[in-house]
Amino acid sequence: MTPQQLYLSAVLKKPLINAAGQKLGTVCDLAITPDEEFPIVSQVLIRRKGQTYAVGWDKVVLFNPTVISVSSSVEQLERYQETGHEIHVKRDILDKQIVDVNGAKVVRVNDLKLGRHKDALCLMSVDVGFRGLLRRMGYEKIWNMVQKEIPEREISWEYVGHLEANAAKLTLTMAREQISEMHPADLAHIISRVPMKNIQTVLNSLDDETAGEAIHELEPELRSRVISELDSERASDILEEMSPDEAADVLGDLSAEKAEELLGLMDAEDAEEIQELLEHEDDSIGGMMNNSFIAIPIDITVSEALGEVRIQAPEVDTVYYAYVLDPDEQPLGVVSLKELLIQDGALPVEEIMTENLKCVQIDDDPKDILEIIAKYNLIAVPVLDEGKMVGIVTVDDILERFLPLDLKLKRHPGY
Amino acid sequence: MKINKKNILLFFSVLGPGIITANVDNDAGGIATYSVAGASFGYALLWTLIPITVALIVVQEMCARMGAVSGKTLADMIREGFGVKVTAYLMFFLLLANLGNTVAEFAGWAAAMEIFGVSKYISVPIGGFVVWWLIVKGSYKMVEKVFLFACTIYLTYIVSAYLAHPPWGEIMTATVTPSFELKPSYLMLVIGVVGTTIAPWMQFYMQSAVVEKGVRVEDYKACRLDVIFGCIMTDVVAFFIIVACGATMFVHGVHINDAKDAAMSLAPLAGKYASGLFAIGLANASLFAASILPLSTAYCVCEAMGWESGVDHDFESAPQFMWLYTGLIVLGGLIILFPNAPLIAIMLISQVVNGALLPFVLIFMLILINKKELMGEYTNSKSFNIIAWFTVVIMIVLTLALVVQTIVQ
Repeated sequence: MTPQQLYLSAVLKKPLINAAGQKLGTVCDLAITPDEEFPIVSQVLIRRKGQTYAVGWDKVVLFNPTVISVSSSVEQLERYQETGHEIHVKRDILDKQIVDVNGAKVVRVNDLKLGRHKDALCLMSVDVGFRGLLRRMGYEKIWNMVQKEIPEREISWEYVGHLEANAAKLTLTMAREQISEMHPADLAHIISRVPMKNIQTVLNSLDDETAGEAIHELEPELRSRVISELDSERASDILEEMSPDEAADVLGDLSAEKAEELLGLMDAEDAEEIQELLEHEDDSIGGMMNNSFIAIPIDITVSEALGEVRIQAPEVDTVYYAYVLDPDEQPLGVVSLKELLIQDGALPVEEIMTENLKCVQIDDDPKDILEIIAKYNLIAVPVLDEGKMVGIVTVDDILERFLPLDLKLKRHPGY
Repeated sequence: MKINKKNILLFFSVLGPGIITANVDNDAGGIATYSVAGASFGYALLWTLIPITVALIVVQEMCARMGAVSGKTLADMIREGFGVKVTAYLMFFLLLANLGNTVAEFAGWAAAMEIFGVSKYISVPIGGFVVWWLIVKGSYKMVEKVFLFACTIYLTYIVSAYLAHPPWGEIMTATVTPSFELKPSYLMLVIGVVGTTIAPWMQFYMQSAVVEKGVRVEDYKACRLDVIFGCIMTDVVAFFIIVACGATMFVHGVHINDAKDAAMSLAPLAGKYASGLFAIGLANASLFAASILPLSTAYCVCEAMGWESGVDHDFESAPQFMWLYTGLIVLGGLIILFPNAPLIAIMLISQVVNGALLPFVLIFMLILINKKELMGEYTNSKSFNIIAWFTVVIMIVLTLALVVQTIVQ
């Protein structure tokens, strides 16, 4: 009979008997198989005279902390054959690190809660709290005398993200989706907390874009390490999804050979853009700028301009400004997205654009941009190189550069 | 490994964990033991340094290898390999042992500063604050640089020894000729010298440092060089401490009990510079170890138990970590300042707990490093296993002997 619920710690190392009361062995682990919602317990593994035997769940008669009995005899026991695909809850999950998807934290599994779901015994949640710790230690009752309400923290299996490669296939789609939806900064926090080997598992559960955002949030040293550990194909896919200036940041920290290898694997157009940025020093304006921005000609109407923004937007990160350029790429003025949206569509752009653009030269001191951005309340400042507009520096790039050191430390643990 | 530019650069990039861990090993307790050994038996104990260096390299190399291959700390591996019960008890005793060790470091710091006429009521709070501030406000890179600089201060002992004008020929002979005396005080010191060299916390710190530094399997050879270099440097320093005390106090029959006595007795025998340098070395070593011990303990316990850890957190987001870290420093300092604190009893208990813990840690290490699923092709080779088990058994026997000694005394 399947119990309502019980903890794994309550059945481990308990004797397993048959109908005749004969002891067949000691419960040492449970094998589980993935299912739609919760993984189902499929086999009970027992130790008997130094050997491991498996008993199918269909043979189990009673399964509770007091009695665990099965309907098979000693002769019917089958030696356990490892196929390499099974997940053993004790071996693969208990005491291991997992990602608490809701709390965006890496925690350790203290105990596992099993429960009945659709007539099968399923793995319902993991216990990561103090109570689980005490239960495993055998001190739960003693502690209970001191403190009535022991803090308890259980994470439903739906919100568990896996780090161990062989348990990762158990992670439910729900957890996977939620990991992708985490804020990149939270993901970066998780990545910085897990052993190098397991970082792969986390990144493999993410799409290229999310992985790229998370990687960019890492501190530079860890970032280069993560990229070099990744399969080069995957690394170049991730880099393609990043904005060119972020990708250049990442590549700039790698060895020249590795950076070239990854650039070679990337889409030629993306690679070229990044290559341009890489030529500038990290802390110069050239190193900070983004060379994709929205450029429009002067002789169009507001509605045409809006259409142009829509066409260019997928390739561009900062869409709040459309820069009006002459055929020689010299900036004539700028129109904000807000103006384009509220003005009459038939008006020519020339009439509504702001002239006297505040620009910086590519070899200026980054401090100049800070002043301009603060003084004129801009989101981005255009960068000129010999009169031509070559890119923009955005307010978040500037913030990152001039953020006080201790704030950076908070964001990049261990930096 | 070929010596070329790339390999030299690689060595410097992974430099740190091995050298720092091995140097912290020469902490207040270590310096005291070596000083007493030199003052009581002259150069007769120098030969033990060679086997000790080998043992140290064997044990530390395994930690570095486990860290580089698995990317996990020793506390992580023990928790995942042996379960929560074993881990929790192990961590409890490690905490206890390291509290005792921290007290010893602050005691060494206070003693060294008293030589320069600074009261312990001033030096200990300042020392504690500096340690706390360095870790909480500094970055890993900066801390490592400070630590590497601290390692160079150990070289003051070489100058101290040189100023004592020792007979180098006699010393070299003594270093390579094993000698035994069946006096109980001699045996006790042999055990003491060996016992202070390999402490449980070092294995945890070593592996964590390698993981933190992100040493990869490909760079492992350079990392091993760092370990070997560090272990040799440590014992070279130990060698000069013994020589400095041997050439002066032993020759003149001066009896000493601790490192402070040693520094004081050097002044009339080898000049005030030798004495001053000796004291600076002691102050540096004590404070250096006092900054590493509480931190490594807090990390280790929190990682094993699955609590949030890291110096970038505060008391709210990582309460256990911050309380452990701050608590160890504050308690370690307060015990020294408490009038009539039973310092000797605390040190003895700490030594016994350290000794009792070591066999477990070493045996766990040997079991873990031989697991194919954790280490892949980097498990111990058969011959290395023989050396390792041999080392571990000898270490255990000697440490247990030290524990028995301490209790009997």
